[in-house]
Amino acid sequence: MKKKLRWKIILVAAVILLATFLFYPPEEKIHLGLDLKGGMHLVLQVVTDDAVNNEADQEIIRLREQLAKENIEFLSISKSETRVGQFAVQQFDPEKEGQIRDILDDNFKNWDHSVRETSILVTIKPGIETYLRDQSVKQAQQTLSNRVDELGLTEPTIQRQGLTGERIIVELPGVEDPDRVKEILKTTALLEFRLVKGGPAETKEKLLEEHGGEVPGNMEVMKGNPTQTQGGYYLVSNVAEIVGKDLRNARRSTDEWNKPAVSFSLHPDAARRFAKMTGENIGEPLCIILDKELMEVANIGERIPPPGDTIIHGRFTDQAAEDLALVLRAGALPASIKYLEDRTIGPSLGADSIRRGLTSIIIALILILVFMGFYYKFAGFNAIAALTLNILILMGALAYFKASLTLPGIAGIILTIGMAVDANVLVFERIREELAQGKSVLSSISSGFSRAFRTILDANMTTIIAAIFLFQFGTGPIRGFAITLIIGITASMFTAVFVSRLIFDLTVSKKSKKLSI
Amino acid sequence: MQFIKKTNIDFMKYKFVAFAFSGVLITIGIINMTVGKGINYGIDFAGGTMVRILFANEVPISEVRGALRDAGIENNKIQKLGDTGREFIIRTMQDIELSEQGMESHEIIGRMVVDSLRGEDEKRALAEGTIDLNSIAQTNLAVLLETPFPEKGAEMAEKITNFRNHPDQMGIILDYSQLETIEGISIEVINYLKKNTFLSHLSVLSKESVGPQVGEDLRRKATQATIWALIGMLIYIGIRFKYAYGVAAILTLAHDVLVTLGIFSLTNRELNLPVIAAVMTLVGYSLNDTIVIFDRVRDNLKLLRKHKFSSLLNLSINQTLSRTIITSGTTFLTVFTLFLLGGEVINDFAFTMMIGVVIGTYSSIYQSCSILLFWKEIFKPKKGMGK
Repeated sequence: MKKKLRWKIILVAAVILLATFLFYPPEEKIHLGLDLKGGMHLVLQVVTDDAVNNEADQEIIRLREQLAKENIEFLSISKSETRVGQFAVQQFDPEKEGQIRDILDDNFKNWDHSVRETSILVTIKPGIETYLRDQSVKQAQQTLSNRVDELGLTEPTIQRQGLTGERIIVELPGVEDPDRVKEILKTTALLEFRLVKGGPAETKEKLLEEHGGEVPGNMEVMKGNPTQTQGGYYLVSNVAEIVGKDLRNARRSTDEWNKPAVSFSLHPDAARRFAKMTGENIGEPLCIILDKELMEVANIGERIPPPGDTIIHGRFTDQAAEDLALVLRAGALPASIKYLEDRTIGPSLGADSIRRGLTSIIIALILILVFMGFYYKFAGFNAIAALTLNILILMGALAYFKASLTLPGIAGIILTIGMAVDANVLVFERIREELAQGKSVLSSISSGFSRAFRTILDANMTTIIAAIFLFQFGTGPIRGFAITLIIGITASMFTAVFVSRLIFDLTVSKKSKKLSI
Repeated sequence: MQFIKKTNIDFMKYKFVAFAFSGVLITIGIINMTVGKGINYGIDFAGGTMVRILFANEVPISEVRGALRDAGIENNKIQKLGDTGREFIIRTMQDIELSEQGMESHEIIGRMVVDSLRGEDEKRALAEGTIDLNSIAQTNLAVLLETPFPEKGAEMAEKITNFRNHPDQMGIILDYSQLETIEGISIEVINYLKKNTFLSHLSVLSKESVGPQVGEDLRRKATQATIWALIGMLIYIGIRFKYAYGVAAILTLAHDVLVTLGIFSLTNRELNLPVIAAVMTLVGYSLNDTIVIFDRVRDNLKLLRKHKFSSLLNLSINQTLSRTIITSGTTFLTVFTLFLLGGEVINDFAFTMMIGVVIGTYSSIYQSCSILLFWKEIFKPKKGMGK
């Protein structure tokens, strides 16, 4: 019996030491949730339609070229307005149908096609479409991570919601500049250098006059950004000479007039291409397009040799130049994103919540301690010891699992304080009953514990079941609540049964005639 | 000490009174939730924007309302917090016409709300690009201070932002003279800041916006979580107890949820995620009470074979009454502390738990055992329900 007790003492002492070691010092070991630390919780939707549309755009250009090579005439190739990932070749020469289908069969293996009267409907294969959408979410996640890294934010989490979901959850503790960060994350940052073929003109019609009112096949019309170019419409090539991923070392700098600008150089391959292109087009206008908007138009003065050092002027503020350089370094998003949810908690509100939460915990604890002490006297202090250990274990477990402590989590701790004593109460009431029946102190304690145990287990299981499902379905703060409740109640079964029993065993001897309970 | 001496209350005598009482509560609740005021869904479930703002000085609520109206934000609810008259929560579920492409209305409306509450001089200062010391990020403040005070900027910026973000200030420096109390911030620094920054008179404590899709999603998840938890408990009770007891426990649970939601809807409080968490917890909690009593019933069935079932139930309730009251008492005490001191964010949660604890205790005493008795009278099972 004595030996058994010694082992129990060692076990309890080990638990106390371990829990203390895990959570001390609390400022470092307890991971605070966004609602207590302040910060931003974002849910973004990747508009994966964009990725499929981009693919369709590229395939249309490729198909046009191939049909032109084979001298197959057609009225137009246009994307379907109702179905993403579908386009139609309209009014082709019926005799050449076989030829077109051969081209599609041989070179467009990712696409299915079917003939509808005078047009051929080309549709992306479902497997390929799924793959494209999935890839675009993965890429977006990578790009967002890069951007967050560039921003130098600490402890960010960027994770996909579900394995195949189109949503990404971004959590950024301690963000001080939420609007700026949101803007940076949202920018697609699709940068292109293209040759300008005409313009500027005030209206689209004027611009297209010399082309007979129609946009030539290899060009498109773009509007100049009114604050950064002369404004109006430009006719630009639809082939990008340089794109964002060719860039190296984008950074904020100043131009020759000491105005904020963004400068960069190019990767070797792109730099060679750029040198050749600029060499061939001296005197021609070149434009920089960012997210489908014309940022800058300038004439090529001379051949720009590798490494292709270039500067974007475009009338920036310091901050805007800095941010553009940042997104260019971090890479473009494969598709646009939408914010579905945005919760920003200021640092002072978080600090205030911590203060209120701690006050509530302490007051609740004192109330329970006083009550238990008065009501159960000596046994009450036994319960108090168990409860204190319970909270210690709870904090240690939170630190060990790296679970975030949230405001609802604090509520969970407070609730645990109230509910954990239930196990003690069940035992103590049983002991009182046994004593009332005239049993001896020791056997009352013994049967009190054994009889109450099944009830304690049953009763706590239901609360744990509720908490588990809450954890499964809940988001950040609610999960924090569920986890504290689960740990707290589980720990209460150890503290209120095992530890409490041990304290009785140590303090009550065979000779005891009375029990202070 | 003992509150409850050996009692012998005939709880079963009052079963019809209790049924009637619960029936009335549930009916009123359901009427209110369906044809009455309905459930007041918060932005978590309905989508929308919620901005929590602290002003430097007292601002009458009418002024806030007027400013929002002038900005064209009509569909809003303004709630004053505390008694300082400085703190407000503004909720809006308005859909606005958008000029910016690809933006959801909930994304910009928060900014619109904040902008509309700024004073004219503040708007002008911001438009001119003057820095607001009450919202500047620490890193930017460090850069600003580094120029005139080399190598001290970062440290001073940290001190100033820590001072500003402390719960005593809640993000607002009221006057530059307040900075004098910070150690290491000299008059020169304050004068430099006076010249180069201004102090806005409001601080955005939090800003939350939820798009309609997410709201729908969260609603679905909350329903799923509740249903699965109920199923989980049903299975657990099914394993541990006889069929009739399981049914009685689940009916008691349904009673608790309905009554709590009913009372909740009558108070016109907002249904948000923490409230759902509270409802689920109280489901577990109420079951806890019920199980303790059922456990005792099971024990007594073995010990006292001669007793009538109704008196056996009475005896079991009486035997566990002390425990029921004490546990409910301690839980209520802690939740009540949270309700009083926990602050606005957690208030609805604490309130729901408070109702839940009371209702859960009442129902496990009055409802669960009454249902067992009815079951016995209707189905007359041969086993598991005594004489």
